[in-house]
Amino acid sequence: MKCKTLHKKIIFFLEEELPADEMEQMKYHLSVCNDCNAFAEEMAKMLAVLQTEKAPSVNPFFYTRLKAKIENLSNSKIRYNKNPFFVKILQPALFSVLLIAGIYSGIKIGQPISDRTSYYVDSEQEIIPYLNEMKNETIELFLME
Amino acid sequence: MNESEIIQKLKQGNEKAFRELVEKYQGMVVNTCFGMVHNTEDSEDIAQEVFIEVYRSIENFRADSKLSTWLYRIAVNRSLNFIRDNKRKKWAQSIEDVLKGKKVQLNKFESGNSQNPDSKLEDKQRAEMLHQAIDSLSENQRIAFTLNKYEDLSYKEISEVMELTVSSVESLIHRAKINLQKKLFKCYKKKCI
Repeated sequence: MKCKTLHKKIIFFLEEELPADEMEQMKYHLSVCNDCNAFAEEMAKMLAVLQTEKAPSVNPFFYTRLKAKIENLSNSKIRYNKNPFFVKILQPALFSVLLIAGIYSGIKIGQPISDRTSYYVDSEQEIIPYLNEMKNETIELFLME
Repeated sequence: MNESEIIQKLKQGNEKAFRELVEKYQGMVVNTCFGMVHNTEDSEDIAQEVFIEVYRSIENFRADSKLSTWLYRIAVNRSLNFIRDNKRKKWAQSIEDVLKGKKVQLNKFESGNSQNPDSKLEDKQRAEMLHQAIDSLSENQRIAFTLNKYEDLSYKEISEVMELTVSSVESLIHRAKINLQKKLFKCYKKKCI
């Protein structure tokens, strides 16, 4: 048996779920291969954790805490039922307002981008004729006046 | 009080019957939840939610299946909900940590010291490694494996809880073991412990 084959079946070997002949082959391989034997030991320790974790001790006040929780829940339920206006009208209205506000702000955020672009183009066009005025109105003409 | 008497009295709102039910099944429910979430406090909290659900919906219980099967189903579903919520919270927390510039804690297994003489620490590391490997399984594999290993349920009992055929459960547990083996072998090669 190859080491790779053993690695693929080690969990079934440790749980004794393999056929008898395969169990024997695995046992033989483990007796001659130190690396595989070390791995098998580590896997066995790993799986033993499951046994130690079984049936954790339950808190002795489990029922008392549970009872208190149920009472709290029933009290809050009563309080909640007393105010159906909040649940049936106010809550959906609030969500609707938030939704509309979200859509509106989304549209508003989207709009200025195109405006700004056009603003910069316009301003560029405005500056160019101003700079070119120097060509039309040279310094000689200005002095002759 | 037998099972049918407990159910009958629970439907009538008998508090004594509820107490008896909790005392009879609390260990089983906590153990199942622990197998799924691997934390004692969390498993007790989930177990409480399970009993609250039983208390509230006992009238809907039609006794088609055993009471324990019903309890297992609720425990598994509640645990899965808890795991999903926890994942979301962890994800949000990790984003918050990144935004705040907190250093992400390195996985302790990556820097595990195989020469550590403290066997308790090694056992703890082994347990956490095993939990990580179990957590990496698919939901159905995880449920089947947990019920089989933590609660010693037979394939038939698991099939009743999961509402699957026995052969499907068999296949799920087989694949779960293969996947666990792969994960644990990778970890062994990296000398996590």
